[in-house]
Amino acid sequence: MDVITSNPALLANAEKFRPYVGRRVRTVVKVNRFEGGNLHCQAPDGPHIVVRQVPRNEEFTQFVEVIGVVEGDTALRAEICTNFGDRFDLEQFSKLCDMANGSYRDIFMLRRRGQDFLASNK
Amino acid sequence: MYSDSGADGGSLFGGGGFIPTQSTGLNDNSFSPGGATKKGGSQSSGLIPLTVKQLSSATQKPSDDNFYVDGHEVNNITLVGMVFNKEEKATDVSFMLDDFTGKIEVKKWIDGQVSEELVELRNIRNGIYVRIYGHLRSFQGKRNVVAFSVRPIKEFDEVTFHFIEAIYVHAFNLKRQGGIVGSTTPASTGVSYGAPPASTMTPNQSVNMRSNISNQYMAPASMPVGSNSVNECQKRVHALFDEPANLAIEQGLHVDEVARRMTGFTKQQVKDAIEFLVNEGFIYSTIDDDHYKSTNG
Repeated sequence: MDVITSNPALLANAEKFRPYVGRRVRTVVKVNRFEGGNLHCQAPDGPHIVVRQVPRNEEFTQFVEVIGVVEGDTALRAEICTNFGDRFDLEQFSKLCDMANGSYRDIFMLRRRGQDFLASNK
Repeated sequence: MYSDSGADGGSLFGGGGFIPTQSTGLNDNSFSPGGATKKGGSQSSGLIPLTVKQLSSATQKPSDDNFYVDGHEVNNITLVGMVFNKEEKATDVSFMLDDFTGKIEVKKWIDGQVSEELVELRNIRNGIYVRIYGHLRSFQGKRNVVAFSVRPIKEFDEVTFHFIEAIYVHAFNLKRQGGIVGSTTPASTGVSYGAPPASTMTPNQSVNMRSNISNQYMAPASMPVGSNSVNECQKRVHALFDEPANLAIEQGLHVDEVARRMTGFTKQQVKDAIEFLVNEGFIYSTIDDDHYKSTNG
């Protein structure tokens, strides 16, 4: 297929981690510290989370976008980490996550039959 | 001049705004009588922020090559995403743009000159975020985007912004679909000032719709035509200039004459309205700076 939509990363703040366990998500975090390959950081909606197996070791800016697979309520396994600089509006991003999982999710993800785990969040 | 722009020319550069038809309705009707009779398919649709997922579900009518998203024609789009699989050739630079709702191929043609643009393109690396402006097309059955511009993103709030904007336009179009069914017929698309088209809409809805566009959307997008600033006085002065009797006067109307006939408005208001209409190209000065005539004449 010309346009590939098979491997999306769903916009998510920590609130969405639980229903998304095992799925690929996209979030932006505020870095607290980088230790032993793990990023200890703050999710857009506040909770502290751990990003594991961070794929690179270079200096991180204060804000980092993480594409990764949800492992639990407060844990992600990283695939791609992108420096988002030292100035970023996390609160606004968190609101975007809410919208992208609410009424406007159609423009972000395909509906999956029999897997409408989002219904509870509506 | 506007009526000369063909389907493609018009759709490439005619709009300049984000909301299809509304943004150009003013132009179409006022600059060219032909504007209102354009085929629905060639309505200029402006520049639309989208997600790749929306592109994948864009529909095409068998009758033409145009794409439709949320029931609106999509020509020029803007996307924000990450660059992957970049390939540089002598004639073009292509890559997959992944906005994490999906991936689509983007191609930017190079004109061969070593330009600033080329240097900028060479600096686009895999894994960085870019904003592209481009044209959606279908080539050999595959959808791709021919980019006019590919720029790296430096302030990452722009990523958030892009998706919020895409949501806004999506919501706007859906709301509009629900609100003004039937206004997309050619006869009623080019209505001046967003006055209610001859359709099911009530005037009240029209006012709401208009204020919605101007305040929340068009104004920040710095539209070339400040449709939000068309006030009652401007509307009535324009209507006066458009009266057949006044169109027939070779030198047009004198400012004082207009002021005399515009009861309820001060001379200054009338002068301001005239200045506005001149700036927007609805009227022009004739024998001196005090005489004006409608461009519709």
